[in-house]
Amino acid sequence: MNRLLLILWSLGPMLWQLYTSFRPNATLTGNPMQGGWTLEHYQALLGGNPPFWRYLLNSGVVGLSSTLLTLVVAVPCAYGLSRLGRKTARNVNVLVAIAAAFPYVLLFLALLQLARDLHLGNNLLALSLPYTGLSLPLAILLLQASFRDIPPELEEAARLEGLGLWQRLRWVLLPLMAPAIASASLLIFLFCWNEYPIALTWLSRADLLTLAPAMARIAGASVFTVPYGGFAAATVLGSIPLIVLVLVFQRQIVSGLTQGAIKG
Amino acid sequence: MTAAANTNGSKGALKLQQLGRRVGRQQLLESLSLTVQPGEILALLGPSGCGKSTTLRLLAGLDPASSGQILLGDDDITATPPADRGVALVFQSYALYPHLSVERNLSLGPELRGTRPELIKEDINRVLDLLQLQDLRHRKPAGLSGGQRQRVALGRALLRRPRLMLLDEPMSNLDAKLREELRAELQHILRSIGAPVIYVTHDQHEAMGLADRIAVLERGQLQQVGSAEELYRRPANSFVAGFLGNPSINLLSLRPGLLIGLRPEQLRLAPAGATPASTETSLNAQLTTREWLGDRLLLHLSSANGPLKVMRPSSDTLAAGLQPGAHLEVQWSRGDALCFDARSGERIEPS
Repeated sequence: MNRLLLILWSLGPMLWQLYTSFRPNATLTGNPMQGGWTLEHYQALLGGNPPFWRYLLNSGVVGLSSTLLTLVVAVPCAYGLSRLGRKTARNVNVLVAIAAAFPYVLLFLALLQLARDLHLGNNLLALSLPYTGLSLPLAILLLQASFRDIPPELEEAARLEGLGLWQRLRWVLLPLMAPAIASASLLIFLFCWNEYPIALTWLSRADLLTLAPAMARIAGASVFTVPYGGFAAATVLGSIPLIVLVLVFQRQIVSGLTQGAIKG
Repeated sequence: MTAAANTNGSKGALKLQQLGRRVGRQQLLESLSLTVQPGEILALLGPSGCGKSTTLRLLAGLDPASSGQILLGDDDITATPPADRGVALVFQSYALYPHLSVERNLSLGPELRGTRPELIKEDINRVLDLLQLQDLRHRKPAGLSGGQRQRVALGRALLRRPRLMLLDEPMSNLDAKLREELRAELQHILRSIGAPVIYVTHDQHEAMGLADRIAVLERGQLQQVGSAEELYRRPANSFVAGFLGNPSINLLSLRPGLLIGLRPEQLRLAPAGATPASTETSLNAQLTTREWLGDRLLLHLSSANGPLKVMRPSSDTLAAGLQPGAHLEVQWSRGDALCFDARSGERIEPS
């Protein structure tokens, strides 16, 4: 019973969106049992110019490139910090934590100025630069903790076997960090997927919009009505890739790969 | 020296010359000088924190030496990176790669070092056969017992064809019965390498059973090095005397400035008031408790000079019949007693 309540509590809003997305706009204020079903919201979204899947694709490209770029920088950084002396690492980590806690919305005007000066506007890959910068602090802290969890003997054994630094990372450390990397990637990707102010200011061409600004434009399509149905359909479409992603990564996050590495 | 050393010309002796390591103000190891011949097994024995693991890490190149030299054969390897030393180390935790199967655990190193695949396959099969691991080659470490993990770790070290083999308490994660079973097998395998072997342990039985010579360390200082028998019969100081032997030696201050070491198994019992023979000394004591150990009896006694342990065969009727609280004479031959300087702990030859 408790479990059911919990599930309803978390899924309720999503189910409500799903329901709304299949109802004609006129029926949304009336009796929820009347009025029948419709696909018009989805048809409007997918038949628009550009079609809605274009925004999903854009968001996917930005999310993926930002995640990869963040990992490429954060993994070596976290490794280095995890191998530094405790004192030095702690001092650096305080700075990293401050950066992680900084409200990034305060930066967007400055970022916009940068984008103008460096001609980075309307470029999806350029958008991953600020996203990477903003994701790095958290990723470094997360990955560092996981590097520290790996028993040092594992790396020492690999060193004695003649494995160089990159070989040790590639063949010994990173496979053991798969769960941490999966969860860090997911967090980064989610941030990019949901990010609004920077995307809004950096992108103006309709075919380059990411999900968040694109959804905001649905609202702006009509002055007199709130397009609840359109919003709901966009929300549903926008969540599907994330749900798939979580389901795929779930096993990685849960699996305890380091089990049995040390002692019994 | 064994035959292996004579047949394998490529492997040289290990020489430590005044090797030391200091971290901050702490001297972890002080001026250790030792020589280990190819095919010889040397046990580094001592309580935890005595510097034995420090020594091993210096030899492996995982930590830098603060002073002294490490010579392997004709090479000075003091500053050589770990990978280029030809050193293999079996870790106490085994340090197997948890995400790889037994076979991949063994092959990862050689593959990345660029060894020819056919050669790797052949080598691995040889090692798997030797260690009876063929059936387990596709298992991951989590699916292995402690003894099996130890064998995989050993196999990984053997695959390196090491010029120097190091083992850090490889038995400490195994139960006592398995330890005893594996000792002879391990000794055989270690000798077959034909390289100097250094075996770190805090277990005196393991050291005595496995090693040709034992080096006893305490607080970063070498106390004595020699065969188990030498260490037992002629300990250099009271620490070595107390560390080797089970039950441990009785150290009594019968005379000022002097500690007398008496092995529990060299003591005899006589009824209270009995006079000792001319070559013997005697001490009045009272029985506190008695432990029955099967073939032997361990008696705990109290005397005016402190507590005493006496080990007697179960067949000793006097010892078997005693009740706690009973008074008796403890006797020993004067020649068996070891004398130590009470201040320095050094052993003194009786004049």
